Amino acid sequence: MKTNISIAATMLMAPAALLLVLGVISPWNRVQAATQSEDTIEELTPSMSYEEYQKRYEKYYGDATARMAEEGNPADFLLDDGKELAGTVAGSKGKSCASCHGKDALQLKGKATDYPKYNADLKGIMTLPLQINICREKQMGAEPLKYESYDQLALTMYIKSLSNGLPIKVSIDGPAKPFYEKGKAAYYKRRGQLNFSCAICHVEYAGYKARSNLISNNKHHADHWPSYRLKWGKTGSLQRRFRGCLKNMRAKRAAYQSEELRNLELYLTYINNGDLIQVPGMRM
Amino acid sequence: MGIFDPIDLKGKLTLWAGAVAFLMITVIPASSSAGNVEQGEKIATTRKLGNCVACHYLPNVESPGDIGPNLVEAMQEYTMADRDDVAQWIRDAREFNPGTIMPPFGTNKILTPEQIDDLVAYLYTLKK
Ligand code: HEC
Ligand code: HEC
Repeated sequence: MKTNISIAATMLMAPAALLLVLGVISPWNRVQAATQSEDTIEELTPSMSYEEYQKRYEKYYGDATARMAEEGNPADFLLDDGKELAGTVAGSKGKSCASCHGKDALQLKGKATDYPKYNADLKGIMTLPLQINICREKQMGAEPLKYESYDQLALTMYIKSLSNGLPIKVSIDGPAKPFYEKGKAAYYKRRGQLNFSCAICHVEYAGYKARSNLISNNKHHADHWPSYRLKWGKTGSLQRRFRGCLKNMRAKRAAYQSEELRNLELYLTYINNGDLIQVPGMRM
Repeated sequence: MGIFDPIDLKGKLTLWAGAVAFLMITVIPASSSAGNVEQGEKIATTRKLGNCVACHYLPNVESPGDIGPNLVEAMQEYTMADRDDVAQWIRDAREFNPGTIMPPFGTNKILTPEQIDDLVAYLYTLKK
């Protein structure tokens, strides 16, 4: 019996020692972990005023974005296609969005302003793309649409556009509160090989340049998605943008509509309450 | 509690880790070379390597970032006796500023100790 245990122990020790030599369990990693406590968020303050930030933004981009907008937004196509999709029957129950939400789903006017929001069935946060897929599965008996697929983006875009011009008013009261806290913690969490957090760039260093990219202040981060992005040559969602920044951070990229990204979306949208929704957006 | 208790095992591993780290820390600096200036410049300006220019001004680079201090100016404050401080900024700047944005290039194995030596050698060429 005793020998069995010691053999087992040796078998455990050998790979552990190997990991050690490879530097996977290094005491340095532990030092790093110690500075990444998740339960204590030290809020950061921007190192320049918002006015100063705007001045830099204008100096840096001039009227490039305005000129871009004048030439038309390629994402406009998604509005028409989304409208058509809202009236298109799909799935085993012979229904379309319009079957429940009126012609062209117009009863959903103004309904996007409080997304993302707490949902009791999910025991978590509901986002617009997720709600669309849940409607398809539960109400229409249709396949969910793959996130970032053209049809998923088009439907989200169209439904959201029915709230254009209205202020974001996300609630974090009651059951939403813990998810807001988690989202905030995710925003402040140091992660990835480069040990950045979202906040260190978009709060503390907003307005500074990372090489030739002006780091944006998070004040208007949530009002314009889905957006056409020049760099993608394509329209994408807010969560695609999250994943882009996570990749630049050399961090693990949580899946679309994972709990982490939904909580992050709740936090970011909440801090943009009052911004007027305007889709489709356009960005460099 | 037997000596094969998993917690004991963990304790032992920590000791081992400590011992190995101690060896690594004491041996590596002794073997550090003078560093290759040309390599250092390449590491500082290449996106996939150090990419220091994402945040710092360095000469002969188009549109460097402005998140961190201008490294030509910063280097004027260092003497040859400060070589290890300069290296430590790169290895892990949290030693000087726990809330720094600067990535811990050594600790997180973004760069090797040799590459960090190359960077230090390059940075000292910026001293006027
Ligand atoms: C090292 C710096 C850095 C980090 C860390 C970082 N970002 Fe960014 N982020 C940028 C830059 C630069 C842009 C580009 C600004 C632009 O589009 O003009 C950007 C753009 C964005 C945008 C689009 C803003 C807009 O109005 O279109 C969002 C949203 C965003 N980031 C969220 C995040 C989140 C969430 C995280 C963490 C998971 C994060 N970022 C981490 C630098 C960073
Ligand atoms: C994401 C931003 C960022 C990157 C990338 C970065 N640094 Fe820094 N660095 C800073 C900031 C900010 C400081 C100022 C001190 C502080 O706030 O931590 C700094 C400080 C320093 C200092 C000390 C300067 C002084 O005034 O004494 C040195 C040396 C330095 N960095 C070298 C480098 C080198 C070499 C690289 C690339 C391998 C690099 N940095 C990459 C942001 C960065």
